[in-house]
Amino acid sequence: MNKSNISAEVLKKISRHPQYKQLLKKRSLIGNCFFVFTLIVYNAFILFLGFAPEAAGKPLFVGATLSIGIFLGVLICLLAIILVVLYVTVSNRVFDPLINNIVKDVL
Amino acid sequence: MKKLLAILIASLSLNVHAATGQANSSAVIMFLLFIAGTMGITYWAAKKTRTASDFYTAGGGLTGFQNGLAIAGDYLSAASFLGIAGMVYVRGFDGLIYAIGFLFGWPIVMFLIAERLRNLGRYNFADVTSFRLQQKPMRVLAASASLIVITLYLIAQMVGAGKLIELLFGIKYHFAVVIVGVLMMVYVVFGGMTATTWVQIIKAVLMLFGATLMVILVLATFNFNPDAMLAEAVKVHPQGLALMAPGVSLSGNPLNAVSLGLALIFGTAGLPHILMRFFTVANAKEARRSVIYATSFIGYFYILTFIIGFGAIALLVRNPELFNTAPDGSFNILTNLIGGTNMVAVHLANAVGGSLLLGFLAAVTFATIVAVVAGLALAGAAAISHDLYSNVIAKEPVTEQQQLRLSRIATAVLGVLAILLGILFETQNVAFMVGLAFAIAASSNFPVLLMSISWRKCTTRGATIGGFIGLIVASLWVIFSSTVWVDVFGFAESITPFPNPGIISIPLAFVSIWFFSITDKSAQGKKEQEAFDALTVRSQTGLGVSSASLH
Repeated sequence: MNKSNISAEVLKKISRHPQYKQLLKKRSLIGNCFFVFTLIVYNAFILFLGFAPEAAGKPLFVGATLSIGIFLGVLICLLAIILVVLYVTVSNRVFDPLINNIVKDVL
Repeated sequence: MKKLLAILIASLSLNVHAATGQANSSAVIMFLLFIAGTMGITYWAAKKTRTASDFYTAGGGLTGFQNGLAIAGDYLSAASFLGIAGMVYVRGFDGLIYAIGFLFGWPIVMFLIAERLRNLGRYNFADVTSFRLQQKPMRVLAASASLIVITLYLIAQMVGAGKLIELLFGIKYHFAVVIVGVLMMVYVVFGGMTATTWVQIIKAVLMLFGATLMVILVLATFNFNPDAMLAEAVKVHPQGLALMAPGVSLSGNPLNAVSLGLALIFGTAGLPHILMRFFTVANAKEARRSVIYATSFIGYFYILTFIIGFGAIALLVRNPELFNTAPDGSFNILTNLIGGTNMVAVHLANAVGGSLLLGFLAAVTFATIVAVVAGLALAGAAAISHDLYSNVIAKEPVTEQQQLRLSRIATAVLGVLAILLGILFETQNVAFMVGLAFAIAASSNFPVLLMSISWRKCTTRGATIGGFIGLIVASLWVIFSSTVWVDVFGFAESITPFPNPGIISIPLAFVSIWFFSITDKSAQGKKEQEAFDALTVRSQTGLGVSSASLH
C-alpha cells in the first residue's frame, strides 16, 4: 500500500492552515471530553454495584419490584446511545465545516 | 450445493424431534428458506466479487445504515443473545453487567478510532498500524493477535453452535458443526464481504424483529406493566428479591469487575472482524453514521434481552412440559430446564408465540451463528493473505488476483480448522473464550492502534514490544486464572488473584509502548515520528484517502 498520496506541498499548506490547527485542537478537546466522561460514568456504575450492592438492590419507589440498579442500568444503555448521537451531531456541525474549508483552500 | 441441501433435508426430516420434544416442522422450513435465500445472495455476490477490494470490503459502497446493521449483526452473536438472556434468567441483575460492558465499547470506538480508522486504512486495521510504522513487524503483530482472537471466538461460536443446533433441530453435534463450517465457506469463498454483509444485514433485521415481537407478547401477558412482570419473576425464582441486586459476580471482587469492564469496553475497539467493517463504507462520515446505527440497534436489542430474560423467569414456570420433572411433578426452574439455561429465549418463544415463533427464532439463531462465523473467517483470511502473505512473506509484489485467490484458500482452511476445533473442544468448557478474546483485543490490538494514530512519538519498536507484551500477559493471566487453571486443567488453586487480566494488561501494554518508544533513538524511529504529520493530515481531513470503492 502506498504510504500517502498527498504531495509534500499540499501537506505543508494544510499544516499551516489556521483552520487545520483549530480542527486539531477542537477535535482532541471534544473527543477527550466525551471519552473521559464515558469512562467515568461506566466505571462509576461498576464501582457503585461492586461496593454498594444493597443500595443498588433497593426498590426504585415504594411498592415497586424494579430496583435502582436495574433502572440505572437501562438508563446507562440509553446514555451510551445518546453520547454517540451527540458526538456525531457535534462532528457534523463543528468538524465537517472546518474540514470542508481546509480541503477547498488547498486543492 | 444441491447435494448439501438434499443431505440437510434428509437429515432434518429424520430428526423432527426438536428441543421441546415435539415435531417442529416450522423451524425446519424457515431454516431451509433462510439457506435458499442466502445462497441466492451468495450467487449474486459472487458475480460482483472481482477484486480484493470487493472481497474484503464489498467494494466499499455500503451506506452507514447498512453497515450499522451489519455491525450489529456481527456483534449480536448467538452467544450474546442466548447467553445474556440465560444469564439474566439464572442470576437476574448480573446479566446486565456484561450487556452494558459490550454496549459501552461503542462510544469508545466512536470517540477514539472510528473515523481515523476509515481515513487511514484500506482493508483491515493492520493497514492503519503500519501506515507510518514498519510494515513487517506491525503486520506480524496484528496478524498474530487477530488470528488468536479469531480462533478463540471461532471455537466459542462453533461449540455453542453445535450444541444449539443439536437441541433445536435434533441434528448430531458433529454434523451440526460441519453444516455451519461448510455454509460459512460457501458464503465467504464465493461471495466475499458482499455476501457476508448481506447475510449479516438480513439476519440482524430478522433478529431485531423476532426479539421485538417476543417482548411485545411477553409484556402483553402482564398488561404491558414491566413491574408486574418483575414482581412475578421475583416470586417464582429461588433467589427471590436478590435477582434485583448485583450478586457474587460483582460484589465478590470489585477489582475483578472493573478489570472485566475494561476488557469489555476496550476490546470492541480491537476486534479484527468488527474493525474490518469500517472499510466497507465510502468515507469517515458514513463510518460515523454506522456507529450511530450500530450502537442504537445493539442497545435496543440488549434492553429487549433483559425483558426476555426476566420474562422467561416469570413465564416458563407456567409450562411444566419445558422442564425435566420429577415423578411427583416438581421441578427446579434453574437446573431442570430442558436443554439448559442457554435455551431460555428459545423456550420463551415457544411459550408466548407457539411453534411458529419457536421455529422462527431457531432459524434466526442458526443464521446468526453462520453469519458471525463467516465474518470471523473473512477477518482471518485478510490477516493471512493481506498481512502475512502479501506484505511479509512474498518477495515480489502480489497482484490483486493472487491475493484474491489466496484469501479464498485461507477461508477454506479456516473453515476446516473451525470444524476441527469445534469437534475437538466439544466437551470443553469454552465460556471463558469470548472473554479472553476481548481481553487480548483490548491489551494488544487496541493500544497499538490507538498509540500509532494519536501519539507522535510512537515507534515501531515501542508498538511491537508493547503489543506483544499485552498479548502475552493477557493470555498467560487467563491461563493461570481460576477459569482455566482450576476449571479446565483441574488444579486446586489459581495462580492469578482474579480471572480478568484487563486492569493489569491494558495499562501495561500502554506503558510498554510508551517506554520502548521514548527510548528508541534509532534513525528509523525518528523518521517514523516525522511521518506523524502526514498521518495526522490524512486521518483528520480524509485527504489522500484510498477509497475502497473502485466503481
